[in-house]
Amino acid sequence: MNAINARRISVVAGIVLAVAIPAFMADYYRSLAALSAIAAILILSLNVLTGFVGQISFCQYTFAGLGAMTVGALSGAQGHHWSFWISMPLGVLFAALGGFLVGIPALRLSGLFLAILTLGVALGADRYLFANGTWNSFTGGVNPRTPSRPTLFGYHLTSQYSFYLFALAAFLLVAFLVWNLRVGKTGRVLRAIRESEVAASTMGLNLIKWKLAAFTVSAGIAGLAGGLLAVQIGSVSPASYDFLHSITVAAVVVVAGVGSLASAAVGGIFIWWLPELLRHTGVNAQFFQLILGLLLVVQLVIAPQGGVVKLEHDLKRVFGLGRRGQDLELAEVL
Amino acid sequence: MGILASGWALIPSFTVIGLVLGGTYALAAMGLVLIYRVSGVLNFAQGGIAMFSTFIAYQIAVKWGLPSIVGLFAAIAAGMLIGYVVERFTMRPLTGRPALTKVVITIGWLLILQAGAGLIWGATSYHAPVHLVSRNGFRLVGTSVIIGYDQLTTLIVALVFAFATAALLKYTMLGTSMRAVADDPDTGKLWGISVNRVTAASWMAGSAMAAVAGVLITPLINFNTYSLTLIVIDAFTAALIGRLTSLPWTVVGAMFLGIAETYPRAFFNGAGVSSLVAFLLMLVTLAVLFRPGFSGRRTV
Repeated sequence: MNAINARRISVVAGIVLAVAIPAFMADYYRSLAALSAIAAILILSLNVLTGFVGQISFCQYTFAGLGAMTVGALSGAQGHHWSFWISMPLGVLFAALGGFLVGIPALRLSGLFLAILTLGVALGADRYLFANGTWNSFTGGVNPRTPSRPTLFGYHLTSQYSFYLFALAAFLLVAFLVWNLRVGKTGRVLRAIRESEVAASTMGLNLIKWKLAAFTVSAGIAGLAGGLLAVQIGSVSPASYDFLHSITVAAVVVVAGVGSLASAAVGGIFIWWLPELLRHTGVNAQFFQLILGLLLVVQLVIAPQGGVVKLEHDLKRVFGLGRRGQDLELAEVL
Repeated sequence: MGILASGWALIPSFTVIGLVLGGTYALAAMGLVLIYRVSGVLNFAQGGIAMFSTFIAYQIAVKWGLPSIVGLFAAIAAGMLIGYVVERFTMRPLTGRPALTKVVITIGWLLILQAGAGLIWGATSYHAPVHLVSRNGFRLVGTSVIIGYDQLTTLIVALVFAFATAALLKYTMLGTSMRAVADDPDTGKLWGISVNRVTAASWMAGSAMAAVAGVLITPLINFNTYSLTLIVIDAFTAALIGRLTSLPWTVVGAMFLGIAETYPRAFFNGAGVSSLVAFLLMLVTLAVLFRPGFSGRRTV
């Protein structure tokens, strides 16, 4: 059994399990599963930035919010009654445009200062764009929009399982896209930029073009996740896209590890199922963020390359598969 | 036009409010700069530390009804304790590791403090402010501007802290050590400075300043666990105006920001426009002052 076969088998097995397990679940847990798939898409959007060009973003939920609010404003009962299939791509485009705009000042900045900028974007959006007031015609304000589920091949995806499969398909599609970016020429370019911007530019790479592209694609994917979230929940409330959510998803990415598809899936499950688990044990769901924060701190002090990525490397080492994993430190990846 | 006229009439008293707001920002921002210069870590948890410490003061002064000054000192103690714990247990073990890893750890602390405060004091509801002094005021001689004693106190406390920090850095052994470590930790060690102790001191002092800022700002905003944390964005903006290194420019930037956030309220309804000011100012500052490759730890 060589490494490539093992990888194929584990991917196929993962997909089969992801399709099969929720089939035996109650509807409520199927909706949680759909939310996990959507969260995994959001994590992938961060992977594009962090894993590839080494930029970090604390405003992914702001982009997701742009997508969600576009879908909310255009489709659904309080919106313009447009089809999901028109409003969703527009939401992705709008979020991508947001990413492009944030990307422009980010081109001059790196590391810390970019982190401040994205935090500023998230807080600016919270306090102005998403706040009740001037932009209510876009956000819905105090009367949340209620976008409806899409229709696919004449079948209205109202059942939780069908929508879960739809969200899972979207995740796999995005994962395929991101994986292609990673292995293809694009991936080599982006990694060259991550490793050394100076070296990359001496090779004739247009840094500005590639970095802007990474920001735009990342925000577009986040917008897709936001739009799916809007129709999954069936309501768009601006408070669901505030900076704490953005920080939470960034923290999950760090805890799970950067740049691995498996870590995106695990992260997506973690975000929705741990609070659920806490709820069942009678613990306040706010303990989730407390636990996440503790995990983040402890993890960075002990295993700086990310939990899931480390586990993957360890497993590969145990089974003698693949390259000996180089344990990159988070900051080297960022 | 009527609205506009009343808008202009409000400017003098809004200047006072702006300066008071700026004073609190200055405190939080100076703490940020102090920590950054000595340890090289940009503390994203600064707003979280300010918020948590302030809630300690709220618990003591408002809930238990003890004198406000007791609450303030408890908040300072809480801030110092948090700062010490953060530095001792999550920064010191990572000595020599990339600064970005440590910065992400402060994000973890932000989550911990945020969720912890939400669990203890509730996540959304607004709370009664901590008043250090009476809200009575006096009329500024020769004008119609009323200045509250609480406003005056805030401004004075902020300025006292600013000058005290400057004096500490300039005239004391600890301050000299801090500046030495900020310039070059290795050389500092050669001179027999305990880098660990100096770094811990900077985290404690910086966090205490955040705590004072948090307590002072409570009468000025509707405060809950979320809105208090947002002070971090104003602190960052002010600190960036000071290029993360200069304390005087940080204070100037904070005062400017306070006024720039307050004036729009005289002309526009709601908080929308003024809340955009901090973000726009941050954007401009980042674009103008920070060239690519800027590291911020220049040696003076």
